[in-house]
Amino acid sequence: MKNEKKNLIGHLADWINWKRFLFSVVLIFFLTSIIFPFYWMVSSSFKTKAEIGGREPVYVPSGLRLDAYRELFDPNHPSYQDFGRNIVNTLKVSIPTAIIAVILAVLGSYAIARFRFKGKNILLNGILLVYLFPGVLLIIPLFAMLAQIGDQLGFNVQDNLGVLVFTYMSQTLPVALYMLTNYFRTIPDEIEQAALIDGCSRLEVIWRVTLPLSIPALISVGIYTFMIAWNEFLYALIFLNDRHMFTMPIKINTIFNDPTPRPNVVMAASTIMTVPIIILFLSLEKYLAEGLTAGGVKG
Amino acid sequence: MSIAGTKKVKSRKTQEARLAWTLISPTALIVFGLVIFPAIFSVWVSFHDVGLDNLNDVFHAPFIGFDNYKKVIDDYAFKFQGLQNWGAAVTTIIYSFASTSLAVLVGLAASLLLNRPFKGRGVARAIFLFPYVAPIVSIAFVWRWILDPRPSGVVNDILMSLNLIELPKAYLASRGLSLIIVILLDAWRYFPFCMLMILARLQAIDGTLYEAAKVDGANVVQQFFFITIPELRYVLGATFLLRLMWTFNKFDDIFLYTGGGFGTKVLPVLTYEFSFRLYDFGRGAATAMILLLILALFMTLYVTVVMKNVED
Repeated sequence: MKNEKKNLIGHLADWINWKRFLFSVVLIFFLTSIIFPFYWMVSSSFKTKAEIGGREPVYVPSGLRLDAYRELFDPNHPSYQDFGRNIVNTLKVSIPTAIIAVILAVLGSYAIARFRFKGKNILLNGILLVYLFPGVLLIIPLFAMLAQIGDQLGFNVQDNLGVLVFTYMSQTLPVALYMLTNYFRTIPDEIEQAALIDGCSRLEVIWRVTLPLSIPALISVGIYTFMIAWNEFLYALIFLNDRHMFTMPIKINTIFNDPTPRPNVVMAASTIMTVPIIILFLSLEKYLAEGLTAGGVKG
Repeated sequence: MSIAGTKKVKSRKTQEARLAWTLISPTALIVFGLVIFPAIFSVWVSFHDVGLDNLNDVFHAPFIGFDNYKKVIDDYAFKFQGLQNWGAAVTTIIYSFASTSLAVLVGLAASLLLNRPFKGRGVARAIFLFPYVAPIVSIAFVWRWILDPRPSGVVNDILMSLNLIELPKAYLASRGLSLIIVILLDAWRYFPFCMLMILARLQAIDGTLYEAAKVDGANVVQQFFFITIPELRYVLGATFLLRLMWTFNKFDDIFLYTGGGFGTKVLPVLTYEFSFRLYDFGRGAATAMILLLILALFMTLYVTVVMKNVED
């Protein structure tokens, strides 16, 4: 009798171990396949030309060599890339995109969430169009339209970071509107009604009641739109021709397609582009992970 | 008294409507100007001969009927020419379905993994999201560097030292293999989205269902197929549809991995090539409209057939 019981527990232990073993194997497989590319990116950025071009891959660089970073930032380097300028350009595009998108989306989504008005459904369906329409389709009419407008108003459509910010609204504003409308709907109407009865105007209610309650949502929407603009490739590829105006993604593409391949430089530039995004994401993961699904961020 | 009251309510209502429009008008203008109008305008462009020369005077571009569509359909890059050369239309469909299915399956596995409590689960979840959050440009070039065709490429080095391959392979520059690799890379990049969607639903499943199943003697596999999967049906369907839609429209990934070469040319890349390499915007718009039509067809089929079954 006793023996049987022990056997049963023994079986159970085996079963749990087998399960745990499988679980750990799968988990480790996932983690390595995710982490390795990032490790390879960062480690390759510290490799020398010899380490990059050798007959066998170098798994661990001999030291933290800054050769690749020097090419990006040191004006005395023979093939100096002036990457600092590209970082500034990217910031010049992504910060205004985020700020404008958040401000417009706050106003718009408050109206959508709280008021009934004519044309609301057309607007909402129009917003959904972006989710269905390929970006590569919208860029053709946008390009034609902007060329026309630019011609008449006398500004350049190409190499104009302001135009780029404007076109990014087509990608960021719908996402921002969608996320914020969902959020505003979760704020109970009673709180606002109470403030209205106390004699506040609608705008005062928005400013004093709704916005303070929405700070986490505003931050996540701001970061999202910032990330969309920071990562954006296609529109920047089409609108930017002058290397002084390039944003980081276009610059990295250019370095990669250089006739003399220098993967360590490409990896250094990629590292610079990726690390801030990962840090931003990790510091706000709690808010962002929810928004990723709630907003269905297009990607 | 009551009349004054309704008047007050009414004026309040019109005031609110006016405020609503004030608040929404900048957004409405931008959504109209940057989304709705361009969407309609691109249909117009697809029926006209629009090139770089008449771009500044686009509204007077000559109407050419279905010529752009005919040109696209007859293009060797578009049409199916046998198994050696699938053409962009078939490639797009296969690429989208394969990479979406794979991303959903891997996402399901990852969400089941993270649904179990274990030490460091929060950290693991954050790391699992890295592929989706990191910029596509960095991701694409890291993978291209990892899959470098020279013997010094990491994957080549590992596979050769394990004796799995004899000669180094050009993973992103061989017909057939490239499409498979791009599908795998896309699943790698987009599974975290599916994982998040599924995980949220998974955590909402009533635990007593499993308790009851255990009492009835169901094993883990049976629990998975008779409780977990039915509970997840709706979210799996919705996630698949969303990802399919986005993958269909995706330009960046394939453009950066292969430039659309070696049998990986999909319709968004072809649209880009017609529009911004040949500067034939009409033909580009026609390609995009065909893409949209195929997508709309699949979505209607999917929603009416698959999702309806799911709801039943």
